[in-house]
Amino acid sequence: MGDKVIEVKDLVKEYKQLRAVDGISFDVYEKEIFGLLGPNGSGKSTTINSVLSLLKYSSGSIKLFGREMTPDAYDLKRDTGVIFQDVAVFSELTVYENIDYFCGLYITGKKERKKCVEDAMELVGIGDFRKFYPKQLSGGLLRRLNIACGIAHKPKLIFLDEPTVAVDPQSRNNILEGIMKLRDNGATVVYTTHYMEEVEQICDRIVIMDKGKIIASGTCDELKKLAGTEEKITVGLKNTDKDPTDGIRKLLHVTDVFKEDSIITVSYDGGTHNIARLIDHLREQGVSYSTINSQRPTLNDVFLELTGKELRD
Amino acid sequence: MFLHNYKYSLRLMLGNRQLVFWTLAFPLIMALLFNMAFSNIEKSEKLDPIPIAVVDDSSFRSNMIYSETLKTLGEGDDRVFDISYTDEEKAKTMLSAGEITGYVRFAGGEPKITVMSDGIKETVMCCVFDEIGNESKLITNSGMEEIARQLQSGNKDIDYKAVFTAEAEKVMGTDTGLKDTSPGNMSFVMIEYYSLIAMACMYSGLLSMTLMNYNLANVSPVGKRCTVSPARRGSRLLGSLSASFTVQFFGLLILYLLLLFVVRADFGTKLPQIILLSLLGSLAGLTLGVAVAVLVRINENAKLTVLISAVMAGCFFSGMMGITMKNIIDKNVPVLNRINPVAMITDGLYSLYYYESGERFIIDAVSLAVFSAVMLLISFTGLRRQQYDSL
Repeated sequence: MGDKVIEVKDLVKEYKQLRAVDGISFDVYEKEIFGLLGPNGSGKSTTINSVLSLLKYSSGSIKLFGREMTPDAYDLKRDTGVIFQDVAVFSELTVYENIDYFCGLYITGKKERKKCVEDAMELVGIGDFRKFYPKQLSGGLLRRLNIACGIAHKPKLIFLDEPTVAVDPQSRNNILEGIMKLRDNGATVVYTTHYMEEVEQICDRIVIMDKGKIIASGTCDELKKLAGTEEKITVGLKNTDKDPTDGIRKLLHVTDVFKEDSIITVSYDGGTHNIARLIDHLREQGVSYSTINSQRPTLNDVFLELTGKELRD
Repeated sequence: MFLHNYKYSLRLMLGNRQLVFWTLAFPLIMALLFNMAFSNIEKSEKLDPIPIAVVDDSSFRSNMIYSETLKTLGEGDDRVFDISYTDEEKAKTMLSAGEITGYVRFAGGEPKITVMSDGIKETVMCCVFDEIGNESKLITNSGMEEIARQLQSGNKDIDYKAVFTAEAEKVMGTDTGLKDTSPGNMSFVMIEYYSLIAMACMYSGLLSMTLMNYNLANVSPVGKRCTVSPARRGSRLLGSLSASFTVQFFGLLILYLLLLFVVRADFGTKLPQIILLSLLGSLAGLTLGVAVAVLVRINENAKLTVLISAVMAGCFFSGMMGITMKNIIDKNVPVLNRINPVAMITDGLYSLYYYESGERFIIDAVSLAVFSAVMLLISFTGLRRQQYDSL
């Protein structure tokens, strides 16, 4: 791990009756993509807004690059880029002008800024739309513009707050690839989302939040171990004359077997080649099947295990 | 940073069609409508000299300044008053019969005006006597100083009448102090144009408020983006304010060109002062817009409602919807018109139109500058270290 870029200690944010963020602590290290995962209302955006000093927080401490973050910490802000959940662009300005305007709040030199704007447009793939106004762009392109406006000044630390909400798959992939490029270019990224697949795809370390608290943290693999299962195999039987569940239960690493109609779900706590062993067993028993699928546990399984509810509830 | 913000603020304002309409086009449309609606009416309904009575007693006759001034105002084709010199009983009868607008009797050297109702003629009558009173004090003071000077220099044979006449001529010139370039009768179309100018000045608050909203994290997503940037709030505020003032300046310029060359409004000989007052009024409007944006923590549309309501209330109390309201406020709650920027603008414009003396104009101009400075100071203070409880 590199140097600490963000240090949050015992952060609390209260709104009258509601404790939106409840004493959370975490560190973010240089050149990593740090995921804040949680359902809507879990406190992710409140945490980000507190870290950015937009919100007054009730207690705790926040340091960026080793220094306390305040509303007047302009030198810290200079190294920070933010992409908010809501698209934050001017409808009166073109794509180029929007990026140039926001980049100009950080970089005063015209030549340097021009290059930054061009690089940002290339990174998110909107160079062909430079003269378009926001209302002429599709939802995906608009999101890409939103990102370009936040990263054009080449910040060392980038916050992305649910940047892929309501984005088509092609644009989503483009955005995620762009984020990984930013990390590869040396930036530290804090990525908040409630899409677990995205976190799994791009994040180096993850914090899972629920009701303002951190309920789990670690790498993706570390978190998946919390799910209590390593692999799930589902078998679609061709006929249900024979019930193979007792035999399957005796196979190596099997923790649970569940049969519903013609579908058998087998849970494993580890091991390799589980699917091959299961196929051999079914053949030996003369059980014919139509489908067989293997599934690794998802972060949703982790969330389900820890909270008893789905991440998307 | 300032230039960057200034340049894009201009782009943002000129790219916002609604804003362009309400702040630039709407006053022009209103000016043309006023011209079409009122120009013929004014030709046919030009106000006649105002009939008044003066109680011709020893108090009046001993007050040389008033008697001489009223004599001048009651003479010629462009006279302001048709004056009947009579006793108080007869004046009361004439007033009751509606033969005169009001009558004046003098007590303790001061005029006591009696009118039957509130109206334009009554207002003019009061304003004229106020102005004569102001100039009378000036003449008396400077006359006394001159007499003291002559006594000190050993002149014991002073011609008091000649001294006061000379001082009166110095103060008033050869005129009475009233407007010298336009007809002696009041042009209510000009009042409408002044009201329009005041409204255009105050509507500039829409420009600055829109730009400020773009800078506030609790109002707009772009505001959040600007707030997390290292651009200092003061610099952003000044850039926005300067750009708003530029747009407003050109808006006013177009309005004045239209009023002067298309509508052919008569601004007399004091156009530079009128434009200066308009610019100060615009500054007051702009800073009011900034203050509403910064200090009123509600959504964008609600802020717009607050600003427009404040401007319309200011217009109402300043007499834009009926000139008698201004006098009611002046008599009963004078402090309200001293803090009401619309009243400062209209009062300054009226005073430039009707009086030669620039005293009221200067007071109004300074008041507008002070109002703007206070609004800016409050706004800067509100912006300093600004964080939000919720977003």
